[in-house]
Amino acid sequence: MTALLDHLLTTPILAIALTLAAHVAGARLLKALGAPAWCPSILAAALLLAGVLALLSIDYADYRRGAAWLMLLLGPATVALGLPLHQQMPRIIALWRPLLACLPVAVILAAAYAVGIAWWLGAPPETLAALAPKSVTAPIALGINAQIGGPVSLMMGGLLITGVAAVIFVSLVARLLGIRDERIIGLALGLNGHAIGTVRAFEIGPVAGAFASLGMSLTGILSALFLPLAWRLLGA
Amino acid sequence: MPALRGFLWLLGFLLLGETLVTLTCLPVSAGVVGLLLLTAWLRLHGGGLADIAAAAQPLIAVLALLIMPGVVGAFFILDALEGQWTAILAALIGGTLLSVLTTLWLMRRLMGAPDENASP
Repeated sequence: MTALLDHLLTTPILAIALTLAAHVAGARLLKALGAPAWCPSILAAALLLAGVLALLSIDYADYRRGAAWLMLLLGPATVALGLPLHQQMPRIIALWRPLLACLPVAVILAAAYAVGIAWWLGAPPETLAALAPKSVTAPIALGINAQIGGPVSLMMGGLLITGVAAVIFVSLVARLLGIRDERIIGLALGLNGHAIGTVRAFEIGPVAGAFASLGMSLTGILSALFLPLAWRLLGA
Repeated sequence: MPALRGFLWLLGFLLLGETLVTLTCLPVSAGVVGLLLLTAWLRLHGGGLADIAAAAQPLIAVLALLIMPGVVGAFFILDALEGQWTAILAALIGGTLLSVLTTLWLMRRLMGAPDENASP
């Protein structure tokens, strides 16, 4: 059994098939449950996939090596987000003033809250550095991490937990505050939950998706400029 | 065929982004620079829009699939938390709750009346 699994893992086909299967099964499962808003389909699919990997005792590193073929498409898929951004451009331009006022504050707070809480609970400086880019999309976060330091695995884990938490909290808090405006929900998802939030926003609708793409890319760029500078100023 | 031509457009903007990032040494990803270049191109010129849409729409539809291998990793990093997991989880989850609250509240104040056309 292990020999067979090892053999199947020599090509990326098994990892890709498992990912596709989890994606399809996750969508089915959520549909059967009536698609609850607090549980993004990506979370259901990821839980299923993690369960299958654990059950077959496939090492995550082995799985990831195969799935890298799938993740290669993330580059062109990120570029593709420019299309909805273009299509929603009139809506975005109409809002340039509040966006300009809101984005820098929100980007700084996204990092400051987490770093503040961790510092208050006594986490060492390397941990603080790893948590700072938590709302930034992974490729940019890796670039920031190279400048400010901190363990990479912890930073990546922080990104993922943040993304999933952002999806859950945005739907809960938006309902609590009575916000139904797709533009606000989309922006909050992209700003706080990077790619995971953006995926969720496209499930809500094209307007939310476009505003999430905007939030994600601007958060990435502003953080790349601001975090290394802030780190140097704070002398951490 | 339009989808393939569109995919070539996307790869072209990705490579252009990669070139710019490499030349300027900015800690920004090629994908995000490519995204902004594509938006600017469509806004200023608009060439190849139909082809780009044929490739971009299916790619965006499977974005959830493409990020899944990374998301699964979240369940396998608990070892990396190195005994400070209370501080780390409190920071990530508490911090995200606070920043989601602030963002939503701030944006609602600043954006004012909801967009009538917001729901498709």
